[in-house]
Amino acid sequence: MSATFTDTATLASDGTVGVVIEGKSPRQLAWMRFRRDKFALAAAGVILFYIFAAAFAPVICAVLGISPYELDGDALNDFGLPKGAFGGISSEHWLGVEPGTGRDILARLLYGARVSLLVGFLGTLLTTTIGVMIGIFAGYRRGKVDAVVGRFMDLTLAFPSFLLIIALTRPFTQRLESLGVPEGNPARLTYIVLVLATFGWVYVARVVRGQTLSLREREFVEAARASGAGTGHIVFKQLLPNLWAPVIVIVSLSLPGYVATESTLSFLGLGMLPPAASWGVMLGDSVKYYRADPTYLFIPGVALIVLVLAFNILGDAVRDALDPKADRQTL
Amino acid sequence: MTKRRIIGAVSFALAASVLAAACGGGSDSGGGDGEAKKGGTIRILTSGEQIAHLDPQRNYTGSDLAFAGTTMHRSLTSYKYEEGDAGSEIAGDLATDTGTASNEGKTWAFTLRDGITFEDGSAITCADVAYGVSRSFATDVITDGPTYAISYIDVADYPGPYTATAEQQAAYDKAVACEGNTITFNLKNPVADFNYTTTLLTFSPVPKAKDNGEKYDMNPVSSGPYKIESYEVGKSLVLVRNENWNADSDELRKAYADSIVYEFGLEEATIDERMIADAGDDQFAVSEGIQPENLQTIFENGDEALKARSVDYYDPYVSYTNLNNENLSCYEVRKAIYLALDREALRKAGGGPYTGDFADGFVKPALALDYAKSTMPEGYNTDGSANVEAAKAAVAEAETKCPDVVARAKSGLNFYYPDTPTWQKSLAIWQDNLGAIGFKLKPEAVEPSQYWPTVMNPETDYDIARGGWAPDWANASTVIPELFTTGGGFNLTRNSKDADYAEFEGLVNAAKVNLDRVAQGKQWQELNQYVVDRLWALPGSFLKAQSIWGSKVGNTFQWGPFGAFCFGNLYVK
Repeated sequence: MSATFTDTATLASDGTVGVVIEGKSPRQLAWMRFRRDKFALAAAGVILFYIFAAAFAPVICAVLGISPYELDGDALNDFGLPKGAFGGISSEHWLGVEPGTGRDILARLLYGARVSLLVGFLGTLLTTTIGVMIGIFAGYRRGKVDAVVGRFMDLTLAFPSFLLIIALTRPFTQRLESLGVPEGNPARLTYIVLVLATFGWVYVARVVRGQTLSLREREFVEAARASGAGTGHIVFKQLLPNLWAPVIVIVSLSLPGYVATESTLSFLGLGMLPPAASWGVMLGDSVKYYRADPTYLFIPGVALIVLVLAFNILGDAVRDALDPKADRQTL
Repeated sequence: MTKRRIIGAVSFALAASVLAAACGGGSDSGGGDGEAKKGGTIRILTSGEQIAHLDPQRNYTGSDLAFAGTTMHRSLTSYKYEEGDAGSEIAGDLATDTGTASNEGKTWAFTLRDGITFEDGSAITCADVAYGVSRSFATDVITDGPTYAISYIDVADYPGPYTATAEQQAAYDKAVACEGNTITFNLKNPVADFNYTTTLLTFSPVPKAKDNGEKYDMNPVSSGPYKIESYEVGKSLVLVRNENWNADSDELRKAYADSIVYEFGLEEATIDERMIADAGDDQFAVSEGIQPENLQTIFENGDEALKARSVDYYDPYVSYTNLNNENLSCYEVRKAIYLALDREALRKAGGGPYTGDFADGFVKPALALDYAKSTMPEGYNTDGSANVEAAKAAVAEAETKCPDVVARAKSGLNFYYPDTPTWQKSLAIWQDNLGAIGFKLKPEAVEPSQYWPTVMNPETDYDIARGGWAPDWANASTVIPELFTTGGGFNLTRNSKDADYAEFEGLVNAAKVNLDRVAQGKQWQELNQYVVDRLWALPGSFLKAQSIWGSKVGNTFQWGPFGAFCFGNLYVK
């Protein structure tokens, strides 16, 4: 008697081992595999914690009595550096204060998380939507359409996107502002998200196109087509559900990339405008202080690393969980 | 008035050079240890991509003047290459002495030395000097240079040598006349200290045959002990000995080092790190200042060896804030802004007291004759803290006097700032401070290298912009008229529509031509007070600067007039 298909064995009252064979959907199987991965659970916990902290930043700050904008000159010495060890960590300022202004680093970190996560999620949402649509279109239509879309994707990939982002930031945000996007940070944020979407969809689209190409030849699609299903049915009911696995994996891997991009842009002075807080702004400022106030560099750096790492671990775990062939050793 | 590179904290000093008297050099930074000797390579580390201008007629910032003047370009006169007060005295350079004035200071004559040569060995003639000066009139090609020659020399509508008609050139040749070895300048008005003006490299010779206009910036002909071996923007400038320089014709330049290498395009943090580490070739290096975040490490962490090769001193600059008086046409509003500012917090954001002392005007105390303590607006706190109550009272007063200006301030003032982390913090402080009296800011971040061109563009609608200035020589005639009259080279206050402007300009013109230096000093004191009383601009700090040099560099004193090293006389220990 084999228990290969189930993990629930029950001991029957007569002493024999009876096995109840339960049917499980792929989703349930994936969830089962995922649950066994302790790292993945921890990573998911960390991400939830970040999201929670970002969402409730104003509440947390109010409870702790801190503010990301409030200046505290008394926390600084004559050089404008934080008084006390470890960047001025105290009962009042849990993670210390920013050199030069005395603003609370914990509060700025929390508010900065909002920007970082917002860019990450919005960017991912847009790239995924565009990428999936174009990918399915190209893969399903094949032929000339696929060739044209393919060349266009090559072109987009070949583009020196980062240079373009840097060069266009100012003119483009001004254009957005003249189009009615609120001046300042909303315009900058919109620009960053749009730029991420403009260059990010290709990665999703390529994978989706490949998958679609192979899926559309599979028996179940042919069966659907033979029974007279329309394109809409095939795309939405037959193809899409089978595409979720790779898409989710790309999403979980690209999201931290977008968070990092926001930080990079802010680091270069092209992201959020002051006095708004962003991790990139904090990092960009703090590198100068690595000798005088290393704690200041350490804190936003660690926050960013932990978030990116958590997303990557989660992404890996989701891929493994969704892929029945993966046989990864978990600790 | 050329722009000084926007570095770190406060040095928004729109530059110029000189200020007499006193650099604070407390430490014995001179060549006290061992004899100066020839040989070796001196290195200069900078974050700039190039020397702003190596063309003598376009060179203007303090550090650049000190560099180009001591290595490549000789002028008619020069500040003495000395530490302390002696460094603010002048001596003949190309000229045998400091010039002779006649005609009540309207005619100045200089006699050139024998044996002065360009790098190709040809003799420097009076015509070369006259030609050099004439170039500075062509402001469309020879940009960014000082304009004193244009405003002083008695010639009308002279467009410079490139486009002048025969008559215009003849008129110039009459105003700047050559007779054998003697060059004579005929001036519009008496200028008692014209021989200080001639320390500017505007008065350096240029061989007409080698002048290629705008491009001359990259390959100027040397008249000093060094010449260009290679010059790559963003990388380096290498100077080597000019064998045709005749040491006997030069009492100032010692030319110890065999070569001088300027390294461009380095990160500021990297420069400090290399200077502190003092390893390898960096032992022979000097840098252009210390980032505020490293001041504590260098000056207060008890590392005596490090402290011994660094200095904290007053440089010639005064920082201030320009207000656009066309938009902020109401004194009470300007006063409210000034009183609401927490200047102590702003100073901390830039590095604390090491950045300077709170200024009570636009003339530094080092200009002893022209400085007097100003009476500050009522409610001004000398400790730098904000006086929100007094500021609010000023707003209330303004509400009845000029409600439209208050409305503008409440809806948002255009605040132009250079987009650097330090200024982002200063902006946060400004926003917080003005928020306390109900005013708002619309921040405009400007790419740092574009900051001065942006705010100096008359089209730019700023309400608040940075300012910084140093006198070109020890006379406030190079400060007050430059900053606050329409003819000035760096007037960003747009004050010409102010009701008092006409009176002010009259007083300035009267002070300019006063040959009694003490009485003139009094006039400048009063005019400084005149501006403070109207707050056309908001005084900031009398700036300090810090320098550090490698352990094997000698003669590292900070040269008072320029607030920089006397680069050409540095030597390798």
